[in-house]
This record gives sequence, structure tokens and C-alpha cells, in this order.
Amino acid sequence: MKKNYGPVYVAPLTGWLVVFFAIPISIIVYYSFLKKGFNGGVMHEFSLDAFRALYNPTIFKIAFNTFWIACASTAVMVALAIPASYFMARSRHKNLYMLLVIVPFWTNFLIRVYAWMAILGNNGILNSTLISMGLMHEHIQFLYNTNAVILVTVYTYLPFAILPLYSTIEKFDFSLVEAARDLGATKFTATVRVLLPNIRGGITTAVLFTFIPAFGNYAVPQIIGGSDSYMLGNVIARELTVTRNWPLASSISMALTALTTLGVLLFMRLNRSSMESARESATSAPVKTPQSGTGATA
Amino acid sequence: MRSAKPTGKFSLGMFTLTIIFLYMPLVILVAYSFNNSKMMAWNGFSLRWYNELFFSSENLWHSFWNSAVIAVTSASVSTVIGTLGAIGLYWYNFKFKKAISVAAFIPMLIPEIIIGVSLLIFFAGIKLQLSLFTIFLAHTTFNIPFVLMVVMARLEEFDFTIIEAAYDLGAGELQALSKVILPAAFPGVISGFLIAVTLSLEDFVITFFVSGPGSSTLPLHIYSMIRFGVSPVINALSVVVIAGTVVLAALSRNVVKYMFQK
Amino acid sequence: MRKSIRTICTVAITAIALSTILGCGQSKPKLFIYNWTYYIPEEVIKDFQKRYGVKVVYDMYASNEEMYAKLKVSGGKYDLVFPSGDHVSIMINEGMLEEIDKSRLTNFANLDTAVLPLIKFDPGLKYSVPYAMGTAGVSVSKKNFPEYKKSWHILEDPALKGRITMLDDMREVLGAALKTLGYSVNSTDTTELMQAKALVMEWKKSVVKFDSEAFGKGFAAGEFWVVQGYAENVFSELDENAAKDAEFFIPEEGGPMYMDNMVILKGAKNIDLAYQFINYIHEPEVYAKIMDFFMLPSINVPARAHMKVTPHYQIDDMLKNSEFKEDLGGYLELYNNIWQEIRVGK
Repeated sequence: MKKNYGPVYVAPLTGWLVVFFAIPISIIVYYSFLKKGFNGGVMHEFSLDAFRALYNPTIFKIAFNTFWIACASTAVMVALAIPASYFMARSRHKNLYMLLVIVPFWTNFLIRVYAWMAILGNNGILNSTLISMGLMHEHIQFLYNTNAVILVTVYTYLPFAILPLYSTIEKFDFSLVEAARDLGATKFTATVRVLLPNIRGGITTAVLFTFIPAFGNYAVPQIIGGSDSYMLGNVIARELTVTRNWPLASSISMALTALTTLGVLLFMRLNRSSMESARESATSAPVKTPQSGTGATA
Repeated sequence: MRSAKPTGKFSLGMFTLTIIFLYMPLVILVAYSFNNSKMMAWNGFSLRWYNELFFSSENLWHSFWNSAVIAVTSASVSTVIGTLGAIGLYWYNFKFKKAISVAAFIPMLIPEIIIGVSLLIFFAGIKLQLSLFTIFLAHTTFNIPFVLMVVMARLEEFDFTIIEAAYDLGAGELQALSKVILPAAFPGVISGFLIAVTLSLEDFVITFFVSGPGSSTLPLHIYSMIRFGVSPVINALSVVVIAGTVVLAALSRNVVKYMFQK
Repeated sequence: MRKSIRTICTVAITAIALSTILGCGQSKPKLFIYNWTYYIPEEVIKDFQKRYGVKVVYDMYASNEEMYAKLKVSGGKYDLVFPSGDHVSIMINEGMLEEIDKSRLTNFANLDTAVLPLIKFDPGLKYSVPYAMGTAGVSVSKKNFPEYKKSWHILEDPALKGRITMLDDMREVLGAALKTLGYSVNSTDTTELMQAKALVMEWKKSVVKFDSEAFGKGFAAGEFWVVQGYAENVFSELDENAAKDAEFFIPEEGGPMYMDNMVILKGAKNIDLAYQFINYIHEPEVYAKIMDFFMLPSINVPARAHMKVTPHYQIDDMLKNSEFKEDLGGYLELYNNIWQEIRVGK
């Protein structure tokens, strides 16, 4: 390497995020230490009320519920996306498939959710088909429960799992799997132990891309969920609009961001070490080692 | 790389399942756009929603074009910034590198409504008039981390000896970038761009706060229809958009093909 | 191949350039309106533009609360906004509104004098002109559930378990419960509110979801038989035949009513046009057209003679027992806590 162009490459990124993210967000962070204004906004008076209000069992309960739904949906999405993007990466029609996966998401979210209601409703297409086939006599209640929320959440964010996985698997050297098989590994072990460690960046990205939006989403639970579904994103939005308590909206968001950042860092570390140990114990297939391990997946 | 070995039945099955899953609602949507009734029950074929779409929905089209312009411009700019950033962060070592690569994904973690309000306060503070331009700034901001991460994931485990070789053979920085690094990162760049377009087209919350007079986007238009019920005209519009995308994709197929085969 | 890339780029740039030119090219006077999508039928706006040779820029919001949060930070250059009563009083308190000179509104006299004295959010209507009035009642699918009493107690009928939805709106749900118990929809008394909470928890046993976004669609699909909500929201999803099988009623106990109003934002640039527009809206023929579109009752007395459609309910039905929602001020937090506890099922 001759001249170090790194800072040049990173300058637009850093500059943009400082101006349009760091500065604006620090205003909001500052708000969390102020008293709430009577009709929204803030009074410029120091106060820790917003942080004291965080200790609220109802909020904990909502946070736990949200976390659980996001985890379940993420697990389903990644499990679906790995084989699907594996297929895409090995196919001759990569670009076509990539477009095929993303195009449904260029129609409005609400419209697609309404379509799901037409499919899953009690008088919906799925129920009437099952009944007319004589498979059952009574309709099944598909909608307005946690399973429905998970299903539609999976639907909403699936391409965000597929696209990063696809772009990492696409460069994977498939001869490695064959080499492992030549050395006596079964197809399954060969795939799991050689492929997975080599696409860990893709997996991490897919998990983050799906977990984070699923965690913040509240539109799906609101429309598809039952009378108990109430999400953390909902709480924050309501503090800002309905109850006009801006400092509290800010302090909840800060707590949430701090927790998720920690979670993400922990996840990436665990992911890395488990993948590395998997790789070490893997077959003696000639696995490439990464050039540098620093902050690669961040 | 491109071994012609047939792929496994399992992955084919999962892919087919995924496609069916993704397209099931779209089939419903296309059917409803031709439904003579505004209700979910089928009531005969009709073009009434298309009629309404093309002859009496000026505001809707206005919002649609706003959305399209924002999606293309913000996705392009964020793809350029994100890709350059990913290359810089991955390929070079410099001060604050690790801090930047961790900090760059924090925008993804902040609830949308907070980003929206913070940008609104910021724009109001610097006296920037709310318009399509402020929406573009906001969308580019939330798109950048996504592009950055996809491209970085792609670059991971990239065989850097190739670049070293390029340098050894006398390639300059620009040559190495355009001839070696970018082609290698390309599927990641395209994925990032597509994700950015999608995020931009979908966003309601942030857009709401940073939009100004005359710059309503399609999601704003549709969400604020909720009070009186979302009209099936939107179904017709969605079908037109999908058809338009397919035509555009077919037209640009040659371009993409060309770029892929280097 | 490179040529096609260039072509695409050229097309894209031209499209962007064109849209900017088209956007700024007109030099007609402009009126900036901020309102719900379609709350003024497009036809009415077109007629206004034609008659006065002006251009209306119409932007949308999905809820009063979001609109307020946004305008609180930045006026956004709008001239005319359509907040509901409780938000009118907040905006007055925050000094966001321009006083209205009623002598400039010849059609102000058309407004129903039985309604105006009830308005407490802007006593004497110094800052706002009423636009439309209504209430969230109950829509029933008569086909599936023919026998019922017009009361909130319908929500307790065990036969309707899993067939009921209520609005995802604490004021509407708690307001209905407060009214059922004989209290005010604006009650700030903790004991009364606790009783109301207990009643809502009772209702919740049969309520399949709290929803303001898709209950009309679910009702139209036969999924829900009894829904709390705005009549126009439900009936806009039904075609003529299906509408015959549905009935909307205001429960005998009454409930919260709303009044949406036209207000001029402080610092508005096009005040004259805004007055022109407000006056235009309350022309009897124009106003009748709007209310026909939504099948809402007219608060404009002479407009009633011009209406071609019978509204879902009459002003008198509402005035019997219902009450306007007022801003809760400091008690908002209390309502919100109760609502959160209801939603998580505690």
C-alpha cells in the first residue's frame, strides 16, 4: 500500500452523518435532560424526570413483548433467507432473482398488509380454500394474534435478510464445499461448517437489518395484532405526539439505543468467536483467512 | 466461481417458497385492482379504479412522482457515500477507524420518529425551508448505514492480494478502485442500492416530519387516507408501478448484464 | 452498452428537471392547506381554483397529534390547517393562530346557532371557524346481529366475542366508558376514570383489537360485526348493497364528539386567500357537496336544503347526550397511563 487514502474515502460518510445525524440527534439527547413543555416541546430547565419515568413496569412489559416478537421474526427470516439466497447466488439468473425479491416491496406497505388481511381473514382466501377442500368445517382464526404479527413482520423485512446474504454468498468459493466433501464430510456438515463461517458478515448484517426494524415497528402489530399488542415504538411515538412529553420520548429512545448498541456489539463478538471456533474445528479444507479482522462487520 | 453444478433441491425449494410467499399478496392486489366493488368480495371485472387513477387523481400522482424522485436520488447518493465509506473502512487503517465503523450503524438503532423530529428541529434551526430537498437529505441519512453495512459484508474476506497485485503492476488508486475493488463489491453495491430505494419508498414517519408544502410523498398520501378508508385506486396505482418496474427492468437488463460481465 | 447507461441517466435527469420546472413554473397566487387526505373532495378544490384563478397546495397529515408536533417545531409555511377542537385550544395557548375577523366571512352566519355556544375550546370562536362535526358511534352488521339495543352495552354481549373492534384512541374508548357510567367525556376524576378503566377491561374480553386503521375493511369483509368508529370510515368501504345490511348508531348514553375547524396559522403569507377559502367552504351549495361526499350532518343551516344524501346521523342525535372533547392539559399523563395498562392487559 502506498498512500493512505482511507480518510478520503470515509470523509463524505463521516461528514454527512455528523451534520445530518450527530448534530440533530444531540439536540434530542439534550432534550431528555430538560423539563417537558406544557404543550409539547421542552422548557429549558434541567430535570431528570424523564429518566425517573423510565422505571415503569408497564414499559418493561411492553419492551419484553416487543423484544420477543422481533427475535422470533428474525430467526424465521434468517432461516428462510440463507437457503433462498444460496439458491440465488448459485443460479444463472442472479439479477433477475434479485429484482424479483425486491419488487413486491415497491408497493405501499399498508396495501400489502391489507392484502394479507384478505388472505388470512376468517372469510379470507386461505380459510375458504381450506373449507371448500373439505379439510375443515370451521374457519381458523389466523389474524389478530402473535403468530399473525410474526408472519407479516417476516413478510415485511424478508428482503433485508436476503439481499445482504445473497451478496456475501455470491462471492463464496463453492469449491471449498466440494473439497470438504472429498475429505469425507457429509453434504450437510460440509455446508454448515464451511459455508456458514465464510458468510458470517452476511449473517450478521441480515440479523441486524431485520431485527432492528422489527424491534422498532409498530404498524404491523397495530393492524394485524390482537387487543394486547402494544409495542415499544408505539410508546415512543405516543409520548411525542399524544401525550406531548418530549423528554420522555427522548429518554426511552436513548435507553433503547444504548441497549440495542450493546446487544449488537455483543452479538457481533459472539458471532465472530463462534464462527472462528467453528472454522478452526472444521475440515482441513483450505479456508481463506481474512486480511484483517478489525471492525470488519461493523 | 460460476460452477455449473446444479444447486441443491433444498435451496431451490426454499427459494420457490419464498417467492410464493412474497407474491401471494401481490396476486390479491392485482385481482382487487380490477374488482368492480370497493369491497374485498369479487364483484365482476371493471376498470373503474384505473379510470379514477388516470383521470381524477392529480394529487396522488404528484405524491407518487415526489416519492420516485426522492427514492432514486437519495438511494444513488447514499450508495456512493456508503460504498466509498465501506471501501475506506475496510481497506485502509487510520485513526478513529474503529470508532467510525461502530458509530456509523447507530442511526439504524434510533427510533424513526426521533430521527424525524430531530431533523425537523435541526432544519428549523438552520432556517432551511422544508421541501423535497429536506426529504432527500433525511432519506439519504437513514439509507447510508444500510448501504455501508451491505457493502462491508460483501468486502469481508475479500482476497486483498488481488489489489496488492494491481498496485504492484503499477495501477493507480483510481484504476484499482474502478477495475478491481468496485467490480468485486458490485453485488453488494446493487443490494445496497435496492435496499435504499425500498427504505425510501416505504418511509412514512421521518418523511412526515421533514416534508414541506407541496412535497407530500406517496406514503404520506396513503397513510392520511386512513381516516376515510384507503381507496382501491391505490391498488390500481400499485399494479401500474409494478408493471412499470418490470418494463424498466427489461429495458435496463442489458445495462446490468454488461456491468456484471465486466 | 455505455450508450444505454447514458440514455437512462439523461432520461432521469430530464425527468427531475421537468418536475422541478413544473413545480415552480406557475406564478398564480398559492394557498397552502394542511389537512387529512380527501377531507375536502378534490372536486371542491378544483372549483375553487377555477373560480378565483389560484392554486391550492394541499398537504396531508394522518392525525391531529402528528400535525401539532410538526407545526410546533416549524410552521411549515402553511396558511390553513384543520385541527380538531382540543388541538385548537392547544394551538391558541401556544400562540400559533391568527385571530379571525368574522366581518370578512359573509357566510359565517350560515353556521348552526344551536351548536356554536357548545364550543368551549375556542370561546366566541375568535381563532377558528367550524368545518365539520361528527362523532364515533357504533356500526353494526344487521345481517349477522339483527337484534340489539342502541347502547354501549352492546359491547358486553357474549355472543359478539371476537367480533368487536374499538378505536385505538384513548379519548374515544375511555370517553365511551365514562359516558356509559354517566360521567363527562372530559372527566379528570381518578375514581371515575378507574371505574371507566374497569368497564373497558370488561369490554376488552370481547374486543378482538383496538384499531383505527383497518376496522372498516374488516367490517366490510364480514370479520367484525360491531365496530366503534366513524361512520364515514366504515361506509366508505361498503358498496350500496352491503350498506343496506349495516347500521350506524350513536349510543343512547352519548359519547365524545369532535369538531374539526379551519384555522389560520400565525405568520401565514396568504391570509386573504385563506379568508376567501373559508368563506367559499361555507357557501351552502359547496358545503352541501362536501357533506354529501362524507354523508355527515351539516352544521351549515342553509346547506341542509341543498344536500342530496341523507347523512348517517343528524346534529340533534349528537346534541342529545354527547359532548365535545376538550384538551386534558396536565391530566393527559393520567389518561395515557390508564390506556397503557388497558392495552397490555393489566
